[in-house]
Amino acid sequence: MKKLSAIVLFLCLAAMLFAAGTQEAASMPAAWEAQGTPLADVRIRQALRLAIDMETIVDELFEGMAQRAVAMTSPGSWLADGLDPYSYDPEKAKALLDEAGWPSDYTLDVVYYYGDQQTVDLMAIIQQYWATVGVKSSFRKLEGDLAAQLWVPPADRKNGPSEVKWDLAYAAVAALSENEFYDRFESTASNNSSIPWQSGLDEKVQATRATADVEQQKAAFKALQKEINAHMYNIPLYHQLSFIYTSDALDIAGSTLGNDQFSFEKHILDWKIDRADGMLYTNGGPMEFYEAPAVNPGLYLYQELLFDKLVNADANLTPTEGMLAKNYSVSPDGMQITFELRDDVKWHDGRAFSAKDVVFTLEYLIKTPGLNAVALNTFKSIAGAKEYLDGKASSISGIKVNGQTVTLTFSTLDPNALLTFSQWPILPAHLLAGSNPVTLQQNSFWQKPVGTGPYKVSQTVLGNYAILERNAAYYRSGNGNVKKIFMHASSENDSNLVKNAESGRIDYAWSKSVADAQSIGAIDSMTVNPVNIRYTRVFWVNQYPHSANIK
Amino acid sequence: MIPFIIRKVLVLIPMLFVISFLIFLGIELMPGDAVDFMIPPDALATISQAELDVLRAELGLDDPFLARYGNWIGQVMKGDFGYSLQSGVSVRDLLAQKLPATIELSLAALVISTLLGSLLGVVSALNKGRLGDHVLTVAGMIGVAIPQFLFGLVMIVLFVFQMELLPVGGRMTPGNEAFFQRLDHLILPAIVLGLSMTAGVMRYSRASMLDSLSKEYIRTARSKGIPEWRVNLIHGLRVAMTPVAVLIGFRLPILIGGSVVIEQVFQWPGVGQMFVAAVRSQNTPVIMMVAFFSVSIVLTASILVDIATALLDPRVKLS
Amino acid sequence: MSSKSLQRKMDRLLTLENQGKLRTSTMNRSVRKLSANVLALVGLALFLLILMSSLAAPLISSYEPNAIDLKHRLSPPGEGHLLGTDQIGRDIFTRILYGGRISMFVGLGSAIGAALIGVSLGTYAGYTRGVLDSAVMKLSEIMMSFPQIILVSILVTIAGQSLWNLILIFILTGWPSMYRMTRSQMLSIREQEYIQALQAFGIGSVTISFKHMLPNAIGPIFVNITLSTAMFILQEAALSFLGLGVPLEQATWGNILNVAQDLNILRNAWWVWLPVGVVITLFVMSVNFIGDGLRDAADPTQVG
Repeated sequence: MKKLSAIVLFLCLAAMLFAAGTQEAASMPAAWEAQGTPLADVRIRQALRLAIDMETIVDELFEGMAQRAVAMTSPGSWLADGLDPYSYDPEKAKALLDEAGWPSDYTLDVVYYYGDQQTVDLMAIIQQYWATVGVKSSFRKLEGDLAAQLWVPPADRKNGPSEVKWDLAYAAVAALSENEFYDRFESTASNNSSIPWQSGLDEKVQATRATADVEQQKAAFKALQKEINAHMYNIPLYHQLSFIYTSDALDIAGSTLGNDQFSFEKHILDWKIDRADGMLYTNGGPMEFYEAPAVNPGLYLYQELLFDKLVNADANLTPTEGMLAKNYSVSPDGMQITFELRDDVKWHDGRAFSAKDVVFTLEYLIKTPGLNAVALNTFKSIAGAKEYLDGKASSISGIKVNGQTVTLTFSTLDPNALLTFSQWPILPAHLLAGSNPVTLQQNSFWQKPVGTGPYKVSQTVLGNYAILERNAAYYRSGNGNVKKIFMHASSENDSNLVKNAESGRIDYAWSKSVADAQSIGAIDSMTVNPVNIRYTRVFWVNQYPHSANIK
Repeated sequence: MIPFIIRKVLVLIPMLFVISFLIFLGIELMPGDAVDFMIPPDALATISQAELDVLRAELGLDDPFLARYGNWIGQVMKGDFGYSLQSGVSVRDLLAQKLPATIELSLAALVISTLLGSLLGVVSALNKGRLGDHVLTVAGMIGVAIPQFLFGLVMIVLFVFQMELLPVGGRMTPGNEAFFQRLDHLILPAIVLGLSMTAGVMRYSRASMLDSLSKEYIRTARSKGIPEWRVNLIHGLRVAMTPVAVLIGFRLPILIGGSVVIEQVFQWPGVGQMFVAAVRSQNTPVIMMVAFFSVSIVLTASILVDIATALLDPRVKLS
Repeated sequence: MSSKSLQRKMDRLLTLENQGKLRTSTMNRSVRKLSANVLALVGLALFLLILMSSLAAPLISSYEPNAIDLKHRLSPPGEGHLLGTDQIGRDIFTRILYGGRISMFVGLGSAIGAALIGVSLGTYAGYTRGVLDSAVMKLSEIMMSFPQIILVSILVTIAGQSLWNLILIFILTGWPSMYRMTRSQMLSIREQEYIQALQAFGIGSVTISFKHMLPNAIGPIFVNITLSTAMFILQEAALSFLGLGVPLEQATWGNILNVAQDLNILRNAWWVWLPVGVVITLFVMSVNFIGDGLRDAADPTQVG
């Protein structure tokens, strides 16, 4: 009780101090006042972007190891030409702010949710850039229930008022498919807390999902990018790269490296390691458990190597030939996929793999909370999925099995269905059937998972290291010599990666940290391979009416 | 004697109840819960709250506060400490995995700090007021005044990267799991942790050595013509060590909390590392158990010290 | 009647005078003993040097602590920057000066705050005993049975990371030891004869405990404050490292030092972390030496 009242007392005092410090006269009425926030004025959003010298930040802070962003999409065939880059122009920013009547006593409330040094440094830099054009800002790191503080949309999607308190939110958007970047611009999106309904915008978003044809998809995305770019509905800052580190002891046999946040064909069975014991060193070993393939199906190397998918993917994450499926076919309208399964596949415990496992996995994962939106959308698009989820059916009627052939019939088109089946693996029915899909991760299965992949778990010392060994019964073979894979225990952000690389105990690893890349780049025996990934850092700008959070 | 011990233990029980309730209440007051940390923040935007609520319900996180506490305390009394919310592994198994690592590191540090601290303290006392005394005092103090993690990182740079003498971290490597095979992993963290505890022991042993050197029997020994070094060593040291031993008894429980930072720097798979991870992800059962466990050790140790003092010192009244 | 009250007044005066004399004489002796302690003097000089330069930061450095200069990031000492620049081009010397203000404020403020609570409770409860004393004693026992870092980590997660929260948490976790120390002093002082004399005159317990007893316990209290200050400064740095400290955007010594976690900077840009590491170490040592000196000075068994 004493603690509580002391905290309350302190907070009151602090609030009074703040309140006393920032009393100033109100400015004259401006155009934005009818809209309930200055951020509703496009000129102000553009000014905020123009005031940031992203080129210098990328060159200096990131030492060139990032890309300035003009849209959510990174450069390539999915990005429209002729988008306004809003290059650094503080004079123009000032002019726009004046024109729009920026209230000089307004302090932007900017939130972020990463506590790493680089994020904090970037925030400090942006604060200074804005200060030079006369925009005051205050940055704070969010704690606790982030979803409730960041992504709750208002009841009225056109007029607000806002359900979130912040003015700008610094966020990262990781996308497996382009849709993950843009679906949230739709006024009905469950996570759109900042962009009010705009005439024509929803239709442009929907157009990107309406076709299975890649060229038509690209055209739709480009039209949408132009719209967003002109109105600056959010402020894209930069595209993060990922860095794959390889040691001189490792020969990856000419494989192409790609987005290692997900699974792609690495031909690891052909890799050669120059170590007498045939051991390849990496990180990402389990701290407390092997991560189940729900929200991230291939973040860790072990997820990729322990489990096989129905379909394989190349380094660009484009689905290629079959994996657990000998071959597969998609109907011309995209509404039916047929997988013909291999019959020579065995689980690591010796049991035969069958179509039963495929059906089980689909019906199981669809009930697992936290399943990635891409996969969930695919599974829910299968005919009969809704009835199954509602408890009206005991199975998904759109899944049909005939011997070793599985046929999926969709009720709505999902352009990303093959992508899903190239990333989400098949789980063993004989070990997981009967368990609760809601607490999938809490299942003891994830202490020593059993898959069908080219490597299997050999030894696990949680929080220290784990070792995978080559699966002799695997249905494919290679001429490489990597017998074992040693994984230092670490989370995704491995603070010990550089130390381990430095002491010669990393042959293959990846991270998104520029600091890691700089340090490992300085080690003679290591090579840093930068890779483009769909990972964009942005400011979401709260354009719904809201009062200033910092007074 | 027996009633004295029984009384002490009886006082302990309600205290543990109060403490467990306070920790539980504290965790309740934390913003958010474990489910918020199971999904990476980038992905949170794409997952519906309703789905997460299903997981919350399944993990029992949406029960009323008192019900959850009652449930927890009931389980603990049956010897079941709950399950990690992240992995579903039983907390008892987790503790059984991590505790040996922490105890190993802490004991090694304790040995280093005791040997070094009492040695430096005695030498310092024998040179009281002279340059040597000051130099040793300053040297002892540096270990405690350098931020532990900086000390650790600098040691890694020196001994691992520059001289390539020792492994960078972890507790063992595969195939080298016996104690003597993994000794090289233990050296650096134990030295850094040990040096940070040396100053306290040194200060104490210096004071008690000075104290005992001024005692009557030392003067008697000197007057009997026993050589100076023998007087100092045999007589002074023996007496001076007694309070140091008590000091160590008191330090033992602190070691559980003392290695949190070092475990992080040296990737040491112990209780401290587990605790930091649990606090960051609000893994309630694990936080509860580590906190509760360390409190129990502290309280039990203090009772043991009370009992030992009562046994040794007839002046302490048992009534 | 009047002669009796006069006598009482005279007696009180006499006691006061005796006490006053007693205090000045111990002070003198303490100062004398303190000044004979070389390490304590060096410590005091260092402490004052670091404290004064931080307070006078704007006079010493012409840079703003948060002014960035991306084109000159990580430049080594020299070239207009006495101690070089950090990873976003801020002047390190300036940041150490300004960071010292916050860190010393955290350290000293928390120690003094903890002392205010612990000492006042300890003084009053230690003198009066009774229910208050046993209740506070139990509470302090509970707080002290937690390893410090474990309790602080839990509290930081509850309250959220901020400068004020951290100070509050340090005070919350720091007062019990102050309380216990003061209380034990009080317990021995209250057995002295002059206290019985004061009680006989019917003087209130607040006056006796705070005005007549507390001054005689002030030595150990100062020792405790200095040692706590050093401990809190180190804890701030440790929490920073664990990601549970003052938010990184505020320049504290711990936050400046935290950059050393980047191995590239640790190995190639010593000026970013070494000076601040040295300053923290020197400051903690100086405060510890002052504390040791005060302890020796206050200890009547040691002849100075």
